Amino acid sequence: MSTATKKAEPSLMDAVKEFPGNVWSSLFRNPLPENDAERSATSFTNFFLHIHPVKVHRNTLRATYTFGLGVISFFLFVILVVTGILLMFYYVPSTTQAYDRMLDLRGTVAFGTYLRNMHRWSAHGMVAVVFLHMCRVFFTGSYKRPREFNWVLGVGLLLLTLLMSFTGYLLPWDQLAFWAITVGAAIASYAPLIGNEIRFLLLGDVNVGQEALLRFYVLHVAVLPAVLTMMIAIHFWRIRKDGGLSRPPEADSKPQLSMAPGEVAVTVRAVEAPNLRHYGLQGVVRGPLTKVGNIPDNSVFSWPNLLRAELFAFVVTLAAILVLSILFDAPLEEPVNIMHPPNPAKAPWYFLGLQEMVSYSAFWGGVGVPGVFVVLLLLLPYVDRSTKGVGVWFSRERLLANTTFITFVFFNLVMIIIGTFLRGPNWAFVWPW
Amino acid sequence: MRLALAIGSFVILVVHGVVFYNQFFHDWERHQSAYFDQARGLAKTDAERAAITGRSPRIEQIIVTNFGETRVDRCTTCHVASDDPRFEKYAHPLKSHPFSTAMGDVQKNGRWERRHKFSDFGCTVCHDGQGRGLKPHYSHGEDHYWPDPMLGFVTQEPWRKEFLPKLKGKAYMEANCAQCHTESTFAGAAQVERGRKLFFTSNCYGCHRIEGLSDGTLGPDLTQAGKKFKVDYLWESIVDPRANLATSVMPQFKLSEGDVQALVIFLKSRKGINFAETGLQQYRARLQDATAVVQATIKPVAITPASMVQQGEKLLNDRACLACHKLGGKDGGIAPELSYEGLLRAEPWLFDHFKNPHSTVPDSIMPTFRFTDDEFRAMSAYLATLKAPPKLDTGAEIYQTLCQRCHGEKGDGQGMIAIYLDPYPRDLTKASFMNSKTEARLLDSIKNGVGGTSMPAWSKVLSDDQVKAVLSHVLTTFTKDKRRDLKPSKAPDTNPVMASAASTARGEATFVKRCAGCHGRKGDGKGPNALDILPRPRNLRNAWFVNSTSDRRLFESILYGVQGTAMPAWVDYGMTSNDVGDLVNFIRSMNQKPKGSQYARSN
Repeated sequence: MSTATKKAEPSLMDAVKEFPGNVWSSLFRNPLPENDAERSATSFTNFFLHIHPVKVHRNTLRATYTFGLGVISFFLFVILVVTGILLMFYYVPSTTQAYDRMLDLRGTVAFGTYLRNMHRWSAHGMVAVVFLHMCRVFFTGSYKRPREFNWVLGVGLLLLTLLMSFTGYLLPWDQLAFWAITVGAAIASYAPLIGNEIRFLLLGDVNVGQEALLRFYVLHVAVLPAVLTMMIAIHFWRIRKDGGLSRPPEADSKPQLSMAPGEVAVTVRAVEAPNLRHYGLQGVVRGPLTKVGNIPDNSVFSWPNLLRAELFAFVVTLAAILVLSILFDAPLEEPVNIMHPPNPAKAPWYFLGLQEMVSYSAFWGGVGVPGVFVVLLLLLPYVDRSTKGVGVWFSRERLLANTTFITFVFFNLVMIIIGTFLRGPNWAFVWPW
Repeated sequence: MRLALAIGSFVILVVHGVVFYNQFFHDWERHQSAYFDQARGLAKTDAERAAITGRSPRIEQIIVTNFGETRVDRCTTCHVASDDPRFEKYAHPLKSHPFSTAMGDVQKNGRWERRHKFSDFGCTVCHDGQGRGLKPHYSHGEDHYWPDPMLGFVTQEPWRKEFLPKLKGKAYMEANCAQCHTESTFAGAAQVERGRKLFFTSNCYGCHRIEGLSDGTLGPDLTQAGKKFKVDYLWESIVDPRANLATSVMPQFKLSEGDVQALVIFLKSRKGINFAETGLQQYRARLQDATAVVQATIKPVAITPASMVQQGEKLLNDRACLACHKLGGKDGGIAPELSYEGLLRAEPWLFDHFKNPHSTVPDSIMPTFRFTDDEFRAMSAYLATLKAPPKLDTGAEIYQTLCQRCHGEKGDGQGMIAIYLDPYPRDLTKASFMNSKTEARLLDSIKNGVGGTSMPAWSKVLSDDQVKAVLSHVLTTFTKDKRRDLKPSKAPDTNPVMASAASTARGEATFVKRCAGCHGRKGDGKGPNALDILPRPRNLRNAWFVNSTSDRRLFESILYGVQGTAMPAWVDYGMTSNDVGDLVNFIRSMNQKPKGSQYARSN
């Protein structure tokens, strides 16, 4: 295909011959990149990849810095969406049919057991991983300027994740689900003044029943996922706008260059943004200076470095969920029996800390303390304005903040552990062995 | 990194392999293939052989809509030969379901024909079990959370070991037969009928409600017992009521194992509305007179005056009275002893108590049993013959034989049946109370009893000396504190305020203001503070008690309080004799009506 005539007038035969190649290159626009320009283009021209920056800082890729917790949460969410949609094909949100559908999933539906297991364990995993992700962000001081709002979004995402998991808990309509939601809804009703109204709004009735099942279903499959997806998108977008993941200030100032002696680095022009009435996109870029040209820094190309790391996180996540799903079946207890509450009736594990606290004081345990926690978390980046200790795990400069946070985390974990393992009939203390 | 990625991908691949293997190589496919192989060999004609060859493994299911909620039974997916008589001798799951004339199956031209066709009935209608499951574990396994284990065949993981052998056997399936075959003469559900009779003869109906059968309110409603509870729970609840609920007041009926099993099967058959009934029929049944239902099941004994006493004795022994009461060697451990009843209570009192226990002991927990008046008369007559006083010498002996059952070994009012009595037996160790009452008053309580309570008048059982002996035993052993001399109170012997509408109205106003907190607005002793108080505030609507209590005693209790209880001395709060007089008039006015209160219907 080098002659000029053919190039000018391709025949039908040529079109047929080139068809596979053309389709391929339409789908995969770039060949495997061989130079920096192509690496940039790979990220830049692909719809799915252009959410990544072309280059990322080396610090972002340090496995021990992030442990990939953010992307793992996202991948778990993806697994949940996929398995959830498949499960929706079989599920009916009706008190008379829901449990039978569970039995069908377990007994007859192709891959039904695995779908349910994967969905269940991913859901529990997501609650745990999102929480760990928050801990990581805190301990590395990553919520500080300019990332305050992304932290607030993150707290919102944590709460949404809990709500997602909680609403999904009811759907199998077995004893476990029914009583966990009964307990959970009771905790909500301890809010002052409007507690009972909140509960009624949530359940559509004074008890957990058909109305509650329908509401939880709609929340679980439509409302919450839509909100969650939107917020995840904003969360990701803000990472880009805030200049990528947090890193210690010195990571920017000491570019690790290996230049030959006498070699001149790329010339960099720093142009002052002109204050014009009419301006291009450059005009809205933050900061007084716009970098033009290629300055040496500590970044590497996203393709393949970032993508490989993400692929690895995905493979590990999926493998873990698959192995869990094959080893452990999602619980399915007896069908709902309103007259026969289990003793003790326990909320889902992530709310057992609340239930444990409720056993001391209904208002403080169910509403007061968790409410204060959430408000403190939301206010955190606006209270802690110091910019020291960013980008380092357990920075010495943040000793007070980290110690306080660990205390809160430890307190909640202890409450959850007591509630999960050490509470027997009538919520009496028991040793699990 | 590359190695880790490779390992991760390999794990995913392996797990997918396992998942796909499980998904496409089912046990039920092997069973069906085995069946096809065998059946092809057994086929006698070409047509039969061709029919078998045309079949390939698939999930078989029977959807049953005629009997209650829709059932989806996939049992025949594994039990594929269940309707093929040639597989009679094979092992499960390829064994064919036996044919039996008792089930209505008939043999025509050497071929059996089923009365209950699987295509119409499915399997779980009779057997219970999980029709939707396709693995043994999910269809009839021992899974703890298994909603309906196969009746009489499957026992479950957490069930009590000692019951397991008793919970097996075909008889349990009769509970399901009775869903359609409701007639009491149906031979196939003999155990259900036996249990139904026991439900009445053992007096279960007195406490438990089953819609259309009984209206007891003391115990749980059993209308849907068969739906809610598994056989092990039912068995355990009958033989050991406190195993599930530590505060249960249900007596331990000493039933034979066969009787327990019959009761369990009967209760298992109670699933609310059954297949044979319409909602209308059930509504009609609800309107029926409870007494008529009971007496339709238990044929009332025809009482002849000559053998009345013997018949009464037999009734008392046969109808589980001694599951609660004590008489001779038998002791149910819940209700008072009847051994000296002839000396303690008069025959009319006994009859009234039988007819309506609340008419004589207003807060009694004894249910109203549905005997005929003649039967009650016979039982009263028998109890009235129990007139042999026990031979007792020392005070300690008397206390142990007669008092300990209620007042307790330590005299603290915590006897074995104390929790079933209302008011509670007096705590005899409370010196502040015991020593604030004169000896004459204490002797009077023993001799003449306390009206409207379970404390009987012992004067015909014990001589005056014996009464004194037991009192001195109580005072020295339990009360211990030395008695002080009591100053005679200034309380009047009779109410100085004349009973009048105005006085009663004044008394009511004072009562609502001062007394209702503990004694309740109705005066029934159930005020808002009552739960925190021991001994409980007196029920002032207990006509037998109020009418047998003198004005002087009421005045003393109100004016000077009752020591050792929460009742304060109202004289300290500015109450005058006139106020108390109004109160007494008010209290007495609540307990008028011929001879008693609202409870005393039969008087």
